[in-house]
Amino acid sequence: MRDIPGTVSCIDGNTFIVSDASGDVESSPATPVGLFAADTRFLSRWVLTVNGQRLTALSVDDSQYYEVTFFVVPGGAVDYVAEDVSAIRRRRIGPDLTESLTIFNYGQRDVDLDVRLEVAADFADIFEIKFDLHDKAGSPYTHVDANELRLGYRRGTYRREVSVSASKPATFDPHGLRFSARLRPGEQWSTRLHVVMRALRPDGLDFRSALRAQRPDESTLPASVEAWVADAPKLDTESTALQQVYHRSLVDLAALRFAPLSLGGATVPAAGLPWFMTLFGRDSLLTCLQTLPVTPSLTPPTLRILASLQGARNDNVLEEDPGRILHELRYGESAAFEEQPHSPYYGTVDASPLFVVLLDEYERWSGDAALVMELEQEARAALAWIDQYADLTSTGYIWYERRNHATGLDNQCWKDSWDSISYADGRLPGFPRATCETQGYAYDAKIRGARLARTFWGDPDYAERLEREAAALFNRFNTDFWLEDRGYYALALDGDGTPVDSLASNIGHLLWSGIVPPERASRVVEHLMGPALFSGWGVRTLAEGQSRYNPLGYHNGTVWPFDNSFIAWGLRRYGFASEAGRIAEGILCAATYFQGRLPEAFGGFDRHTTRYPVRYPTAGSPQAWSSGASLLLLRTMLGINPHEDHLAVDPALPSAFARIALLDIPGRWGKVDAFARHRPEQP
Amino acid sequence: MTATSAFFERLTAAGHDPRFNKVCGSVRFDIRDGDRLEQWLLDIDRGDLRVSQSAAPAGTVIRVSAQVAEAMARGEVNGLAAITRGEILVDGDLNLALRIGRLFPRTPDRSERADPDGGSPG
Repeated sequence: MRDIPGTVSCIDGNTFIVSDASGDVESSPATPVGLFAADTRFLSRWVLTVNGQRLTALSVDDSQYYEVTFFVVPGGAVDYVAEDVSAIRRRRIGPDLTESLTIFNYGQRDVDLDVRLEVAADFADIFEIKFDLHDKAGSPYTHVDANELRLGYRRGTYRREVSVSASKPATFDPHGLRFSARLRPGEQWSTRLHVVMRALRPDGLDFRSALRAQRPDESTLPASVEAWVADAPKLDTESTALQQVYHRSLVDLAALRFAPLSLGGATVPAAGLPWFMTLFGRDSLLTCLQTLPVTPSLTPPTLRILASLQGARNDNVLEEDPGRILHELRYGESAAFEEQPHSPYYGTVDASPLFVVLLDEYERWSGDAALVMELEQEARAALAWIDQYADLTSTGYIWYERRNHATGLDNQCWKDSWDSISYADGRLPGFPRATCETQGYAYDAKIRGARLARTFWGDPDYAERLEREAAALFNRFNTDFWLEDRGYYALALDGDGTPVDSLASNIGHLLWSGIVPPERASRVVEHLMGPALFSGWGVRTLAEGQSRYNPLGYHNGTVWPFDNSFIAWGLRRYGFASEAGRIAEGILCAATYFQGRLPEAFGGFDRHTTRYPVRYPTAGSPQAWSSGASLLLLRTMLGINPHEDHLAVDPALPSAFARIALLDIPGRWGKVDAFARHRPEQP
Repeated sequence: MTATSAFFERLTAAGHDPRFNKVCGSVRFDIRDGDRLEQWLLDIDRGDLRVSQSAAPAGTVIRVSAQVAEAMARGEVNGLAAITRGEILVDGDLNLALRIGRLFPRTPDRSERADPDGGSPG
């Protein structure tokens, strides 16, 4: 897995193309460039030459996520000034890829053009690219005729195919197509290339065809993005940086919407480019929680798709249990043949409690009691999973230990890399493991589940039972996880019950869940805002001084915007408004260094040392919960919370922002506005 | 008796499944064994299940080979993976088809699939 600087992306949900700045795709096996759909690379080579010369970009317009325009000239950047020929490649992605190519002759002489497009498709599964695997079990095929080039891949009944055709006459061969034209001075020549991706069943139908039929006409896409932005509340602020990050976040959330196969065309957020362009339980639930005040329409389809794919049986490959909410859903070859367990994979312990948390939070905002009734059975099953299947040691906690030893995840919490959970001295704990933030989510899910049971499901006995269980969990957790000598909560419990003593950002989530007694909160906050955890931009995933700390460690020292947004929400819950404001200011200020688009993570280096946030080499961008982070930070600064049938506003702005107004916040109250002004601190 | 017909007989005997209390719809299984076509119709009415051997029209049709149907009935098939690789063909409501999939058993320690690259639904 490598970062690829200078790439240009064009996105429509889980269909996307990543190319270089001239619009070309030249993939080497381990780089995620190319045209992708359904977790499969349909174009691995797409290289344009004019009279044998590659093209160089003069400028690129990617202001619309679904459309990119490349202004290019033949040859290298040094000699373009002498060129009479220039070209525009305008690319648009939808279910298909279309690319309009226009070539101009601004010279004084006639020009003969030999326009060549090299095409190849390796049909690599996204995991073959990620793990740099080469041997494919199936066979490729190529079909050339007068009007198109078709490249395909077949393995038993599995078949994927891509076809390339053009609006102007071309000569097709197995490796591409060629056009010839003569341009007089001042003339231009153009053609429209059409690339169709198919996931074919043995009967020749695309198994996604029903979904494609429900898709609105492609020409309505610009209007639909405008409508998406227009439907969101308006942000009025003097801070142009904040305006930029707000608009960018809204547009990126629109770009990442995709329609899963079984949802009748409704869209949910994909997790992020390029590795995670699919449905993740945790990412989608947390993104919905972040975005409720701004784009609440994401939530009902997300809850519905996760409910419809909720675990029903015991399966040790998928790590499925009854009631468990999925981790990851894929449609590629490795999922189809179960070489990877993603059809779907259930190896997460936080999605199930977060499902209940989101259902309750959504009702508080929307007043949508019908959805709470519709999903009663699934919410009860998710709550039952916590006690019946996740408590692996019968100690009253959510534990994890993978059952799929070949391809399952070691760590099934949000920090899911192999070395993310360690003791302060660097040792890795044994299994099973119980991370602290997951217990907070379980506590919150039980409290919220009790409200749903009492208010909507007419089951006060169940509500009382959940509240008793929550109270017992609160006491147990505060005994077993609390490290009195350190003044913070253990990151996790080892399989034998020993507290894993690292200081990590996870303790911030405990404030969000409300499992911290008020008298302990200030000690936790001191750690969160102290120099070991707080970098000046945000809270590091792992504190300086822990053995495995590395400012560029994926879960061991980087700063994650999403993580910080939930910590800030937790800080406000416990009354630490100025600390929440410091985090909001740090993360939103960092966003300005990324053109308003917060990446998945950035380096944990001290702000005063580097003065800018250091890019994490393989960070995904855009990333749904990073886009969501800015919206949740806005919520925490405004202090907006649904309270019965109205929206309570309790603003607390950091000094970086003088004035913020969020207008037309949708909810059970209709639409209301929230205002905040910075108040200088009293002497 | 095949595992497939035993599965449908178990469904007939069960008569009701509370997990489908909010579901109404009909699903027909077209099971192809060489030149022979076996059709099972499953009607769901708010959790009540009615099973018949019938070629009557249904809102959703699931087409599989007899070989794949047997493996499904024995609990060896991951339905979504099989749909993705073209072994199970669904026409109609895919969401309902996936819900119906929950009626099939699942052995917790499924071994490697018996015939990883075969079993065309015909």
